[in-house]
Amino acid sequence: MNSPKKSLTINQKYNITGWLFLLPAALLIFAMNFYPMLQALVLSFKTGIGNNQVWGGIANYKRLLEDRVFWTALTNNFFYLIIQVPVMLFLAIILASLLNKKDLKFKGLFRTAIFLPCCTALVSYSIIFKTLFAYDGYINTILLNMGMISSRVNWLGQVSTAKIIIIIALIWRWTGYNMVFYLAGLQNIDESLYEAARIDGAGPVKAFLKITVPLLRPTILLTTIMSINGTLQLFDESVNLTNGGPANSTLTMSHYIYKASFEYNPQFGYAAAMSYVIFILVAVLSFVQMKVGDKR
Amino acid sequence: MKKKIVALLLTAAMAVSLMACGGTKETGSSENTDNSQAQNETQSSDAEEAAADDSQKTLTVWCWDSFNVDAMKTAGAIYEAEHSGVKIEVVETVSSDIQTLVQTYAMSGELDALPDIFLMDDQVFAKYLQNYPEVFADLTDSGINFSDFAPSKVANSVRDNKNYGVPYDSNTVIACYRTDYLEQAGYTIEDLTDITWDEFITIGEDVLAKTGMPMLTNVQGEPDLLNMILQSAGISVFDENGNIMLTNNEGLKDAMYVYMELVQKGILQEQTDWSGYQGSINNGTVVGTINGSWICATIMSTDQAEQEGNWAVTNMPKLNDYEGATNYSAQGGSTWAVSSSCKNYDLAVDFFAATWAGSTEFYDSILTDLGAIATYLPAADSAAYNQTSDYFGGEAIYAKIVSYGGQIPTVNKGIYWSEEKEALGVALSNILEGISDFDSAVADAQATVEFIIGQ
Repeated sequence: MNSPKKSLTINQKYNITGWLFLLPAALLIFAMNFYPMLQALVLSFKTGIGNNQVWGGIANYKRLLEDRVFWTALTNNFFYLIIQVPVMLFLAIILASLLNKKDLKFKGLFRTAIFLPCCTALVSYSIIFKTLFAYDGYINTILLNMGMISSRVNWLGQVSTAKIIIIIALIWRWTGYNMVFYLAGLQNIDESLYEAARIDGAGPVKAFLKITVPLLRPTILLTTIMSINGTLQLFDESVNLTNGGPANSTLTMSHYIYKASFEYNPQFGYAAAMSYVIFILVAVLSFVQMKVGDKR
Repeated sequence: MKKKIVALLLTAAMAVSLMACGGTKETGSSENTDNSQAQNETQSSDAEEAAADDSQKTLTVWCWDSFNVDAMKTAGAIYEAEHSGVKIEVVETVSSDIQTLVQTYAMSGELDALPDIFLMDDQVFAKYLQNYPEVFADLTDSGINFSDFAPSKVANSVRDNKNYGVPYDSNTVIACYRTDYLEQAGYTIEDLTDITWDEFITIGEDVLAKTGMPMLTNVQGEPDLLNMILQSAGISVFDENGNIMLTNNEGLKDAMYVYMELVQKGILQEQTDWSGYQGSINNGTVVGTINGSWICATIMSTDQAEQEGNWAVTNMPKLNDYEGATNYSAQGGSTWAVSSSCKNYDLAVDFFAATWAGSTEFYDSILTDLGAIATYLPAADSAAYNQTSDYFGGEAIYAKIVSYGGQIPTVNKGIYWSEEKEALGVALSNILEGISDFDSAVADAQATVEFIIGQ
């Protein structure tokens, strides 16, 4: 049936060239990303301290179920997730719609100002927040001088306030970042839709709820997945702002993984198992998000 | 036009930032080449050793804190002066970084990346020695006389009757107080010498009422002070087999109650981190501190000139009527280790034998210049230890510290020490915040440490 063998068609040639161009990057990604991930999976089935690793089967995963510190960390992560992500995304979308207004003056200035926190290094901003909220820090001094508190508050030393400070810090750092995505999304919404809505008598709130939000759905989905992913892997803030304290109340899973590998007697297998739990959690949550959010 | 300008600016910014990145990378890589050069040099010198012994040899040292760095540099200068062609290169590396790097290199098998000599915190030395024995060079038969060092210090770096470390700075606990603050409240340093914690709390309340200042500060969640109290009374939280015993430990209970009373009455102010702790001392917002004698260097590093002469050293309070309670304890300190990958093992050993483990003149000079109090016993007889310190009110504090050193009770520590400290920190926070009661918090701490050991 086939015609006699002849040289490659032009399409095949293009295909091969394309693959050749992709190959170096693909190989690098495999070697640098996927191979370590597979190694980590193997490691998560081993137990022991330091280099003395023995095959333990699912011992590490069983161990996770009994580890109270891990459960505390998991709860903390979900606390951040449930409170911080919606607040931040809501703020970001509001800010984006405000900054998208045509008649707004100094738009560039505001956009830059709100986006600027994202350019701060995670460690630097954590340390700045720590200094601000320190026992003899600025916040206490200002509040004290304004008469809003009668004595200094140990913001980062109390369970209730430490968590809130971390959330405030996160919102400060990441709102602008998400706002940029919404701004980009808003550029794709045709202005005529809003005009039509105005003619039909819809107020700004209604226009926001009925036009902006539905049309931004793909962007909202994207930012939600990214934020969930980021929050579940939260590390710098927990380490630098509070060092997980007081009493592990701000400890995150990633911080605990770090501790299990580098601060305690090193339990790399166990730490790898915890990493896989985070991996699975992120995957499942993203999958659910996609199923629920993507109505295409 | 406007857009073009913006685009131009952005490109310029990017180029600058890229250049900045490139710059840092370059310095990083140049450091690497330095290292590899040093290694190449040592390797080549090894090869040439048979022919001629005058080629340049370098010993690279990692240690932290200007205090340790300067002490090592002093030793290096002494040795370099006597041995031409030898260079002691000191690279300042933070303690926790040394730990992480040692661990990473050990796990990856890249032991060659380690320096020839590194300093290790005594609190983790045993842990690293047990987990990564391949990192440490055996010094047992090196000719270093280990009986010249305080036995309790040497024991920390011994495994299976083999020596793996050269002990360095003293871990003897001292209590330091600001005499000017005490005076304001009507007390002298004698009132705080040889006292119990109950007496200390009475004085502390009075001082707080009169000066508005807490007697002590401590880093929250890292109750070093609690561990000092425990050791001062000879209370172990591990049994001989390394099992954790926090529950039904009467001594621990007493010590924790003392600690909590200090916090609740505001006599001990908890700080969020070490810089807060250090700051409280240097800024004069605390009356005193109780810590290893190495804290003297921190105390003297203040920029407040009025603090000079207003500090005094005494012993720490003892655990009331607990049997075996003393006014003496140990905290921190560090030990030098030679890495197994050291290409010039003999040179490194000779360097230690000539300075850190054989020269009282060297110890005299670092004591006089840096206030470095070591555990090298022959040095204690020297006149330098009897010198007075103007900073500490003209008192001979070094002789005092050495005299404390011999009276420290020994306790079982082991490799799960930092896990235990953290678990107790969590328990203390939970009790103090009213989240759980004493017994359940301690039971939780016990379960947490048992869980970690159970790996």
